[in-house]
Amino acid sequence: MSSQAAPDVQLTIDGTTVSVPAGTTIFDAARLNGIPIPTLCHQQNENPVGVCRVCVVDIGQRVYAASCIRQAESGMKVQTCSEPVQAARRTLVELLMSDHPAPCARQQHSGDCELERLAGAAGIGEPRYPKRSTPRGKDDSSAVIAVDHESCILCDRCVRGCDDIRHNWVLARRGKGYQAGIAFDTNLPMAESSCVSCGECMVSCPTGALTNKRVVGTELGDGDVLDPSELLHLPIFQNVSGTFLELNQKAVVKRHYRAGEIICREGDFGSTAFYILEGKAEVFLSSPMAHVKTDGSSQGFFRKLKSMLRPRDEHRRSEESDRPFIPIDASVDLPYDKPIAELNAGDLFGEMTCMSYYPRSATVRAKTDCVMLEMLRNVLDILQRNKTFRAQLERNYRARALDSHLRSVPIFASLTKDFIDHLRDRVELIRFSPGQVICRQGEAADSFYLVRIGFVKVSEERPGGELILAYLARGGYFGEIALLTGNPRTATCTALDHVEVVRISRDDFNLMLERFPDVRARLESIAEERVAENRKRASQLQTLPVDQFLANGLMEAQSLLVLDLDRCTRCDQCVRACADAHDGVSRLVREGLRFDKYLVATSCRQCRDPLCMVGCPVGSIRRRNSLEVIIEDWCIGCGLCATNCPYGNINLHPFPVELDDPAHPGRKIASTRVKATSCDLCHDHAEPSCVYACPHDAAHRVNPPEFFAGLLKQSSPPRG
Amino acid sequence: MAILALAAVAYVPYGLRSAQAPRGGSTLGLIYGSTGFAFMLFAGLLGLRKKYPVWRVGRAQAWMRGHLWLGLVSFPLILLHGGFHFGGPLTSVLMWLFVFVFASGLLGAALQHFMPRVHTTQLPMETIYEQIDRVRGQLAEEATRLVDETCAALEGDVSSATENQRAMAAGAGANWDVTVASGMQVDEKASDELRRFLQVEIQPFLQRAGTHGTRLGTSTLAAAMFRQLRVLMPPNLHSNIDDLENICEEKRQLDRQSRLHKILHGWLLVHIPLSYALLLLGAWHAVAALRF
Amino acid sequence: MLRRTRTTKKLAKRIDLQYFARPHPLRQWRFWLSVAVPALALGWLLTQRAQGGQKVYSSGPLSASHAVFTQQCSLCHVTRVGAFFKEVSDEACLSCHDGPVHQANQTFTPPCSSCHAEHRGAVRLSATSEKNCTQCHAHLETRNGQPHYAVSISGFDGSHPEFSVLAKRASDPGKIRLNHYLHLLPNLVGPDGKRVQMACEDCHRAGSEGEDWPYGAHVARSTVSEPVPGAPLNRHSSYMAPIRFASHCAACHTLQFDPRFGNQQVPHDKPETVHAFLAKAFAEYIARNPSAIHQVEPPNRQLPARVRIPKVARNAAEWIQFRTEDAEWLLWTKTCKQCHVLQSSSGDLPEVAPANISPRWLEHAQFDHHAHRMMACTACHAGVPESHDTADVLLPGKQMCQQCHREKGSSTEAAEGRCFECHAYHDWSKARRTRGRFTIPELRGTAQLHTPNN
Repeated sequence: MSSQAAPDVQLTIDGTTVSVPAGTTIFDAARLNGIPIPTLCHQQNENPVGVCRVCVVDIGQRVYAASCIRQAESGMKVQTCSEPVQAARRTLVELLMSDHPAPCARQQHSGDCELERLAGAAGIGEPRYPKRSTPRGKDDSSAVIAVDHESCILCDRCVRGCDDIRHNWVLARRGKGYQAGIAFDTNLPMAESSCVSCGECMVSCPTGALTNKRVVGTELGDGDVLDPSELLHLPIFQNVSGTFLELNQKAVVKRHYRAGEIICREGDFGSTAFYILEGKAEVFLSSPMAHVKTDGSSQGFFRKLKSMLRPRDEHRRSEESDRPFIPIDASVDLPYDKPIAELNAGDLFGEMTCMSYYPRSATVRAKTDCVMLEMLRNVLDILQRNKTFRAQLERNYRARALDSHLRSVPIFASLTKDFIDHLRDRVELIRFSPGQVICRQGEAADSFYLVRIGFVKVSEERPGGELILAYLARGGYFGEIALLTGNPRTATCTALDHVEVVRISRDDFNLMLERFPDVRARLESIAEERVAENRKRASQLQTLPVDQFLANGLMEAQSLLVLDLDRCTRCDQCVRACADAHDGVSRLVREGLRFDKYLVATSCRQCRDPLCMVGCPVGSIRRRNSLEVIIEDWCIGCGLCATNCPYGNINLHPFPVELDDPAHPGRKIASTRVKATSCDLCHDHAEPSCVYACPHDAAHRVNPPEFFAGLLKQSSPPRG
Repeated sequence: MAILALAAVAYVPYGLRSAQAPRGGSTLGLIYGSTGFAFMLFAGLLGLRKKYPVWRVGRAQAWMRGHLWLGLVSFPLILLHGGFHFGGPLTSVLMWLFVFVFASGLLGAALQHFMPRVHTTQLPMETIYEQIDRVRGQLAEEATRLVDETCAALEGDVSSATENQRAMAAGAGANWDVTVASGMQVDEKASDELRRFLQVEIQPFLQRAGTHGTRLGTSTLAAAMFRQLRVLMPPNLHSNIDDLENICEEKRQLDRQSRLHKILHGWLLVHIPLSYALLLLGAWHAVAALRF
Repeated sequence: MLRRTRTTKKLAKRIDLQYFARPHPLRQWRFWLSVAVPALALGWLLTQRAQGGQKVYSSGPLSASHAVFTQQCSLCHVTRVGAFFKEVSDEACLSCHDGPVHQANQTFTPPCSSCHAEHRGAVRLSATSEKNCTQCHAHLETRNGQPHYAVSISGFDGSHPEFSVLAKRASDPGKIRLNHYLHLLPNLVGPDGKRVQMACEDCHRAGSEGEDWPYGAHVARSTVSEPVPGAPLNRHSSYMAPIRFASHCAACHTLQFDPRFGNQQVPHDKPETVHAFLAKAFAEYIARNPSAIHQVEPPNRQLPARVRIPKVARNAAEWIQFRTEDAEWLLWTKTCKQCHVLQSSSGDLPEVAPANISPRWLEHAQFDHHAHRMMACTACHAGVPESHDTADVLLPGKQMCQQCHREKGSSTEAAEGRCFECHAYHDWSKARRTRGRFTIPELRGTAQLHTPNN
């Protein structure tokens, strides 16, 4: 349809003669003349496709024409609302309604499901046709948009919005017949796809198939609520749908902080992330950089064993890590010696708190007057998928944190600066969503990974079951063994929550090894160690009669404190001894479930799958090779490990400390800080204190499979 | 310990030989007396050892066995020391004290031998004795909450509907509020009855230690009462009633635990104070007898 | 179906972590009882003490001699200023007993209770350990620096000196000549001419003077055969009765003086008395027989060693004188001289040396023959049958005693060898009489005691 030599077309619509430019669709023609035609799949800003047929009109031909796509021709006589047309529309709507889960999500939230509105207008009650038998499911993966395929009427609006309007090319149709539906990328869950959460599809969807997710704590009070247009002006919100932002208006607020004001404290729980618009902020750890040490011998004859805080320089434990940097939830890492750093405009902090509700990993204080954006998860998700923001984030990371991350990997400590610079631009930052597998055991290896944010589970499939080798937090690394040896991957790495990794390709890795042979040597020795450890652990696993043990979680345990109830006189000496050995805070509770005639006391079980380690915001709880849990110096006492431990074995031990008084710089005020503690098997002594102090020989620290071997061999299942 | 037992046996002929002069003050008598007293002192030190369990001065178990054996051996020693006479008032009192301490010690050892098993078999839901009051309070709260929830369900209050019910309702497709509500059977009378049951029976029972003749204190009676209650309730709420019954059973076990624990530890109230008195008077006796 | 679940974490969360440090009835009761009961016991003890009853101390039974006042502790444990004293002062003992001093020169006097320990049951209070003696005698010192006795005695062992008479190798100081060997020969001529065999106990008996001596005769009581004055008081039959002419010698050793008088004997008395007797006897004879003046006496053949020609008297006075001289010549040179030691003196009459027979050889120890009556005399006095000389000291040495009396053995294995068995600490020669002052109610404890004078 050429527009230049297009004469106006004249046609009759419902008896009215109208004149429109050539190339106008009947729908537009009617619209221009104030005659409404109901539509479903047609949207003004999109190219019409004519799939729903609700807009059909009678143009006097054998079949009705879809007015949204049919161009007006001269002399057409159009009937938009004659009886047969209306009957046809009603049948269409009724057919659509028969599969529609009324009231759908959109109808419930905002009452504007277009289909149901049509149905209501047509006076359609209960549809006469049976419902589709195969459900099409939901997709809850995205943080911001809920996908309900049940409500989808395949109107194609979202596809067109994503492709034509936003040019993201994520959505498409899949399947045929009853299996037909929309899909993201190659039918991936929405969050795993390349969807950028612009919100266009959601805004376009007429039904409850794509709705705005209600995020917990949707409203952030007492900040300046921003007008979406303001947000759109920020470069990081480029290409985000304005409507979407409008829908999420209360999920992001602007805050102003004066110099010296505390923005967030370490250990607090929260659900928001902060983006600095202006100003500078300091991020630091105010907990003492020390771990809990209990004296090896009693002080004086009559005092209990004192517990005190000792930094790792003064007191080295076996397999203590020497990491120079403490990983926190910001774009920089804090050096161990002086855990304080600066955040500038354009820095984002609090990602893990916002996405996975972990406790704040550090204290942030405004150094100058600051303006920040505080946002909830849905807005953060938008940001994280936004290309501009991602570029900025990666730039920041490369400039500030990548260096320290690489250096905190002990084998890379000796890399020269120019090589790091070389690497800087060649690394990739890749995101993974919860449960996604990063690399699989047995695959060919082509990369080395550093964890930037989130938790990665490293596990190995063994004949006896899955053996969890480690949980890696920010600053952790994996994948080097396979690269070195050239063998397939020895373990599977899975993202536990929203994880972002730094990927160094094999070529760069090999280049590094060539240029720095000592790195290679060290890597090889570490790789050997790790292989030996894994083999040792696997051999332990092989001897276990895995299938016989009941799931009190006893299988997970590698060391249990059991109390023989036939001998225990409930005298509490074990608890008292533990408390005396640890400065009055007992690490053992004489309560728990029973196994046969033993009470499995609540005391660290050295689990094979140490759930306590997942989620530590500063990555300070890890496991030695000797299976003991070690809590590093920078534990901030948030208590997440205590919450995570399914047996309640971790307790928080308060210590009096002196901190800088913020009101009077230079002076110190007394305060209390907590550190997480758990049973440390009294490794300073030959025997754990509880076992030593039991007068009736009822307490034992045992290795479950060996100890219960006799019981396990019996056919009767143990009582729980 | 075997050595001690042997030594104890070897003392008997000694004792018989010296029966001609069974006096506390004779040399042999003094030997008996001082060894017996030394054993008693060590036995008394067990209390001190227990007070500081972290001291690495020997396993608590070794001390305990030493306590038992030495205490056992000291009894015949003191008998021989006194030549089976009771002597003057001081020594009579001492001897009686000793008899009581010894007897209570024997009783305690026996109790500690077979009571733990009784404890274990009769109390599957036992907890820490000192926390029984606290746990009982938590049980009372739990019961109240449970009854509130159940009554709300009975009265048609949708907000307290369980997750299960909501999920089912949402799956049904209709307005889930309506679905949940229509799925419940509103029964005001049952709700009142349940509340009455809570206030009259359950709460008095749960809030005080001991059964005090409450009807829920007997398990058969309680089972009958709960059976009656179940008849009134709609089947989908029976699990709540089961939970209530379980709570009452736990409370009964806690009462029983309290009783058993007192038996298991009550003898100490006799043994320990009397043994302190014994040590004190024994020291006085030793000093006085030797000086005069 | 139960919806209640029990998980370890839920159970553990119910517990307050500090429960064991909080107070709890059972523990509190235990603590307070442990304080109250001993306090009660202590209070009971103190009230008993305050009431003065000392039975609580169970001190041990008293010796047999003191058992009569076993209820009255304050008889010995003198209460001064109302307080009970463990130490028994000497005054308490001296209220009944006398304990004379041992030696005037001793450097210190131990208190009574240091040697005489009570509350040990029915034992001899005087049976003290040798330590009480050797505390001085092991290294003897005196106030004037001149100990007369052995300086270092530690018991009846090698350090105990030999009996002094034997150690000095003294001879028997007795001046009566006696040859034991002769007297113990068989077939001696006894009284009435019969042949006799003498035995030790014919002369040596632990008996009193009034006993029936086999070789005694009724002679006039003489003034010279009394026991040596100043001899220590000894118990009945501890020592042999002193040797006396009348009891032991008179039956065989007769004192005839002149054939005219037949068997009449001179009195066993001082020479003056004998002389007077003789003069009187002759005077009476010549008064009765005046014709005897002129009789010529045959030579006295009773002394073959020396023949004496009797003088013829002119008158009665001369005759008396001559005949007295003849008799005295017999006596002084034969009869008396056989046993006594005569020394010529300035006058006519000789001097008889005092007999000096020791009644008691051990001056510093007590010896009881009665306790040794089961022994044969010669079992200990072994040298007697071979003793020819008067000067022989026939006392057995300490070795003889040591064969039975051992100090180190217990009293059931040998004879008592501790010091007290033979020696006395107290010098009983200086004993004073004590005056008993107690009434029976006082002694038995039914009346209140007054504090005895010091």
